[in-house]
Parts: sequence; C-alpha cells; structure tokens
Amino acid sequence: MDMAVQRTLQDATSIDPSLPKAIKVSGRDVNAYYGEKHALKHVNVDIPDKGVMAFIGPSGCGKSTFLRCINRMNDTIPSCRVTGKILIDNQDIYRPSLDVVQLRARVGMVFQKPKPFPKSVFENIAYAPRIHGLARSKTDLEEIVVTSLKRAGLFEEVKDRLHDPGTGLSGGQQQRLCIARAISVAPDIILMDEPCSALDPIATARIEELMEELRNSYTIVIVTHSMQQAARVSQRTAFFHLGTLVEEGSTEMIFNSPKDQRTQDYITGRIG
Amino acid sequence: MTDVTAFPRTSIRRIDPTSSAAQARVRRRYRAESRFRAYGIAALLITTVFVVVVLADIFVKGLPAFIQHSLVLDVAIPADAFGPQRSVEEIKGADYFPITRDALKAAIPGIEGRTAERTLTRLLSTGAADVIRDRLVANPALIGTTIKAPLLLSSGADLYLKGLGTKITSQVARGIATPSAQTGEVTFLTSANDFADAYVGIKRILAKRAKERRDEADRLERSGSTTVADRIAQLRSEADQFQARHDAPKGEEELDADMPSLLVAIDGGLVKVSKLTDVSAVGEALLPLSSAAEAAPGTWRIVTYLTPESSRKITDQEVAFLERFRELGDVSRDFNWRFFSAGDSREPELAGIRGALVGTAMTLFVTLILCLPIGVFAAVYLEEFAPKNRLTQIIEVNINNLAAVPSIVFGLLGLAVFLNFFNLHRSAPLVGGLVLALLVLPTIIIASRAALKAVPPSIKEAALGVGASHQQAVFHHVLPLALPGIMTGTIIGMAHALGETAPLLMIGMIAFIVDVPTGLTDAATVLPVQIYLWSDLPEVGFQAKTAGTIIVLLMFLFVMNGAAIWLRRRFERRW
Repeated sequence: MDMAVQRTLQDATSIDPSLPKAIKVSGRDVNAYYGEKHALKHVNVDIPDKGVMAFIGPSGCGKSTFLRCINRMNDTIPSCRVTGKILIDNQDIYRPSLDVVQLRARVGMVFQKPKPFPKSVFENIAYAPRIHGLARSKTDLEEIVVTSLKRAGLFEEVKDRLHDPGTGLSGGQQQRLCIARAISVAPDIILMDEPCSALDPIATARIEELMEELRNSYTIVIVTHSMQQAARVSQRTAFFHLGTLVEEGSTEMIFNSPKDQRTQDYITGRIG
Repeated sequence: MTDVTAFPRTSIRRIDPTSSAAQARVRRRYRAESRFRAYGIAALLITTVFVVVVLADIFVKGLPAFIQHSLVLDVAIPADAFGPQRSVEEIKGADYFPITRDALKAAIPGIEGRTAERTLTRLLSTGAADVIRDRLVANPALIGTTIKAPLLLSSGADLYLKGLGTKITSQVARGIATPSAQTGEVTFLTSANDFADAYVGIKRILAKRAKERRDEADRLERSGSTTVADRIAQLRSEADQFQARHDAPKGEEELDADMPSLLVAIDGGLVKVSKLTDVSAVGEALLPLSSAAEAAPGTWRIVTYLTPESSRKITDQEVAFLERFRELGDVSRDFNWRFFSAGDSREPELAGIRGALVGTAMTLFVTLILCLPIGVFAAVYLEEFAPKNRLTQIIEVNINNLAAVPSIVFGLLGLAVFLNFFNLHRSAPLVGGLVLALLVLPTIIIASRAALKAVPPSIKEAALGVGASHQQAVFHHVLPLALPGIMTGTIIGMAHALGETAPLLMIGMIAFIVDVPTGLTDAATVLPVQIYLWSDLPEVGFQAKTAGTIIVLLMFLFVMNGAAIWLRRRFERRW
C-alpha cells in the first residue's frame, strides 16, 4: 500500500508524528475481558510496517492478550471479549464482514512451546498452503515447503528427513519449523508469543538471528520476558503493566531513557 | 535487646533423624507402605484365583462340546428303499431309519427282542442318517452298495463315551462256568466261589440300608411328631426286611437298580446278573453268547458297573452296546464341526451355534454402522462446536445418565418403539441392533469425548494459527489424534453389546430358532441369549453346549479387546 495514502488515512487518529515508517497495525482503545476480569485497558498502540516490535512487561500484564487480539486468537476462548478497534492496513479486523480464517493467514503466529503437528516435516509446512489453495501443483507445493524452510534457516538441517515426523526434531529446530510453517502462507505479520522461553541459549540465538533476517520482509511482533532479547532483536518496544500500555517507543529510548517511572523500575528489575 | 530475639525459638523445628520419635515415624511409614503393598497383592491374588477358577470351570465343562463321537459302520444301502427315478427329492424323502437300524444290527449280530433292538437304535441320534442322505444326494450311484459312514451318536451315548457314565471294573474268574443258554435268561454255575465278593457286597449294602432306615425312624421318633407315625412304621418294617435278608444264611440274593450292576462276560456275550449265590448266578443276556460251552478259568470275567443304574442316565444295556462298539473299534472321536455349522435343535448332539453366530454378527453390524458415525459426530459436535450453555449441559448430563440406565429398560423402549410403533419384525437382528445401538451410543459418545479432550489444545491452536478454520482444525488435526481412543471406546462398547442379553429378551430374540438367519429381518438369536436358552434346558448334553458357547463368546470378547489394545498401540502418536 502506498505509504502516503496510508499516512493521510490515519490523520484522523493521533499518531506520533515522529514515527519513522508506515503503520501496519494500530490498536485504538482496545479493551479485553476474561469474564469479569478486565485484562487489557484502553490500549492505544501503533506497530510500524516491517521490523520487530517487542512487548515487554511482568506476567499477567496483558501483553500476550493484546498479541492474540491481533489475529483474533482470543475468539477461541469463550469467556474472552474484546472492545475497541484494531486496524491492520487501516482495516478494522473486528468488523463483522471480516473472515477470521483469512485474517489468520495474513497474520501468522508462533507459540511459546514449539508445537509442530504430529506429522512429517513436509506435511507440517505443506498443510497451510494446501488448505488455502496456494499451490497449484505438487512441484509448486514442494517449492513452497523448501522456500519456507530455507527462510526459516532450517532447510540444510532437515533436507534429508523431510518425511520424518516433525516432532522428532530438537526443540530449537521445532520452533524454527513452526516459524517456517507460519511463513509458508506468506503472511504480512508474524506474532511470536515468547518463542524462545522453552529453548536453550544456543537455539535462542539461532531464532534471534532468524528474526534479524526476517524483519526486512515481515512485521514481527514478539512478546518476551527477556529484556535482553527485546533489546537485541527489536526496534520498537512497548511496556505493559497491569493491563495498560505504559510506554511505547524506540527500543533505545525505552531502555536508555524511559519516561515513565514504572518502565524505569521494570527495566532496572525493581518490579516484575 | 534486638528484634531478633523476639522470634519464637521453636518456630521451625529441625528433624532429628536419630531421635526415637523420628525413627518410629520412619518405621510406621515403612509398615504402612508394606501393608498397602500386601493389600494390593492380596487383591490381585483373589481376583486371579476367581478368574482362573471361573475360566477353568468353563473350559472343563465346555471343551467336551467341541468333541463329538460317532459310530463308523458299514451301511448297506438297499436299492429298493428309493423310488425308481432316484431323483434328489426321492433320495431326500426316503426313510433312512431301517437302513441305519440294519447297519447297527449287522455290527452286533444276534440281538433279539424288540426292547433290545429299540435300545440299540436309540444309541444313534435322530440326525444320524443325515450324513448318508447328503452323500447319496451328492452321488446317487452309491445306492445299492455298502458305504462306510460315521453315524452320529445320541447325546446320551456321546456323554457316556466322554466319561460321564460309570466306572467299570473287571475281574477274571477262577472257576469253570457253564452257562445254560445263549440268549434270554441264562443261569451260570461256577466251580469256584467267584460270586462270593459280589455276594458279600450285597449283604453289606442290605445291612447299610437297614441301618439307614432305622436311624431315620429314630430321628423321626425323637422329633416327637405324631403325623409321621405311619412313616416310622413303614421305615421300621423296611429295616426289618433288609435286616432279615442280611441275616439269612447263604440263600439266593437279588440285585436291584440301586446296587452296582454285576455282569458276566462269557463266551463273547454279556449277561446282566439279577440273582446270585456265591457259586451261581441268574441273569438276562444283554449281548448274546456265541455258544453255551463251558468256559475255562481265566477266559471269562465278572464285570461291575460301579454306578448303580438308577443313578445314571444310561442303562446297562446301552453301556453294554457302547462298550461292544468300542471293542470293535467302531467309535470315532472327532472335532465337532457341527457345533459351528448347525443351527439350534432340540437334540443336544444336533444343536449348533451357527444361527447365534450369524445373528450376533448381523446385530453387531447394525449396531456399529449406527453407533460409530452418530456417536463420533455427536461427540465432536458437543466437544468442539456446541455452545456451552444450559441446553448442552442438560444434554451432557443426560448422556452420562443414559450410560447408566439398566439395559432392560432399553429393551422395553425397543419393544414399545421399534416393534409396537414402527412395526418392525420381532426377533430380527435389525431391531436387536437398533436397541443395542441405543445402549452403546452413550458409551461411545463419552469415550469419544474423552479422547477428543485428551488431544492437547495447542494442536488446535497451532492449526488455527496458520489459518485453518475451526472445522478444518478439528477434522484435520484433532479428530485423527483422537481416533485411536475413539476406536478403543467403540470396540469396548461393541464388546459390551456383544455380551448383552436382557434388552434382546424384550424384543423377542429369545425364540427357539432352528434356521440360520439370512437377512436383517429374519428371526435370529445371539450368542448370550443362546447361552441363556441352553442353560435352562434339563438335558445334560446342553450343559456342555452352554459352556462351549461361553468359550466361543469369551474368545470373541478377547479378540475384540485385543484389537482395541492393538489399535491403541498401533495408532498412538506422541506429541
């Protein structure tokens, strides 16, 4: 989408004029409730196109809830209710006419624990293109699988065992398989919910390298408990606390000169 | 004073492993653990003993059902027994009774008298001639020739040959015996006192009877009841008679049916003794003697059937015939294929479980094709799609309740709905299958829901995350993973249905049905009902059939449960 048009479209809403890039996702007064519990309170945030945005904050602060609002995974929780607007490319994803399946094809997701399907490596990746009708032929499908694996940096490791069970890979490989699975349908946005919390430092480093490569082509939103990780991989960071978005800005700014006392306390380890 | 001293000193005590209290606690814990282990082992042992006893009993009683004895005899097929065309109808319609009778008489020559002849022919089953008929239908050229055919023995004869008759002892005689005749009443004189043992035995039995009656009379007298005065007098007089016979000097004694049977095997014949002294005997020839010649010591024997004739199902005459056939080598002992190839019958030796097997297969088929799709889809809908509201909650509770409803209630429901309202056929496997489907459905739904619930939600979430719709996620990912569990639940449900009797009684599957059913609406019965029917019959022959059918049913159950375990192992996937 044309950048200028997008900017003008969003003039109606208050956007930080210092934003460097076009806005991919923006939340406007987003509230989420789990039954009676008000889990997310009046969140307004803009996520720029391309690059990595990190959500940090103590447990239960609502960062994962907000992440799951972006591809409407919260719909699967019966007690969860979301109000407000979330715009992707300036289109409200909570509008009634939107097909949530197509939304999730555009907004991929990687979960905390690597969860490959109990099928072969090939089938793990081929599944989504197949149900979305992205491959016209068998060779097409194979190409998608190989490309996705290459982008996820996994191809060299698994090229000889594409038809072995995906669950037989190591934890780090499984998580990269999940990333390959997510990018197999060419999404615009990849949501990552603590993707490295179940991995060892070496596997974590490998994933972080991968994110570094992917951020040129995708908008990545990552929820993480590790502030070092947020500092390493993200360009922008948002700090959540008790369901509210406390502060958002460039990663450098958040970590070096936070405006809010709570951010300061969290970063220095006094809360959380 | 600092704040530190304000803490109570005893707030947290350390464990002192050397203290006697701690050691006692350890000992108590060990004792509790070993006690628990002992309870477990005891429970296991008791269960094992029960299972082993039950199985052993069933197998001991049931295995004879898989064996059948028959007489292999030369059967002459006279040409004049059949019409001139020798068509299939003629061969099927011919009277085979004289043919088998003549074959029997030819095997044991010299049988005279209608009674003996009738006893001889009754050794054979009423279906004994079937094998001849089948053979002639297949090959009419056999008419006019002599064929060797296995003739099915009657249930009583078969049971005797399986050892359910009497013990036989035989003693070689020492004297020279002179029989007076070859058939009819025969009198023996022996040069030694060969019958002395038997004679003493009779005296002993008489003394015992006299004592029993006296004791009984005394007991009744002590009870002081006046209404039994007649009975006491009768017992006393009987006792006196027996005592008088016992006390009498060496006279002739009579044998009766309550005493072991005494027989004399002499000159190729067999005589049943009815009166004897210690050197002579009088009796009826059961098997004719070949001559009335003197028999030298050692060539003749005194045979005793230890079980008195009155307390066994088979007469001395029949025993004599069967023993003779056994000596001639005419008795053949085979696997009882008929048990699996024939339908029910009033004659134990002709009855088989084919009808029940086919009925069971048809009934379970109907049950399966109804239950599996309905049960699985109901479970998938309830577990994955149904809105969680009061209505679905009520449905869930009711499904769980249905699983606990006594099966006879389902039978009554089937009677009211399928038979009376829809007017379906009584006793039909279709109706049986419908009723059992009602019975099994809750089990399958519950098992399927449990299997679906056991699939980790992350699998569904991952599928949703790559843009699968809810339905795609369920059918592509959740259902395949739940399938082994669903299959296991289904097989266990079907095994439950296989053993179910009560609801089928209600819809008339208890009828006596000889024909093997050929369609879903034919009258049929099933294995457990067949067991129930046979267990009720007075004939001893059916007891073995009952146990044999139980063995077949248990085999089915073992195979089905084995299949359930195999499926679970085979398709179980880890994630």
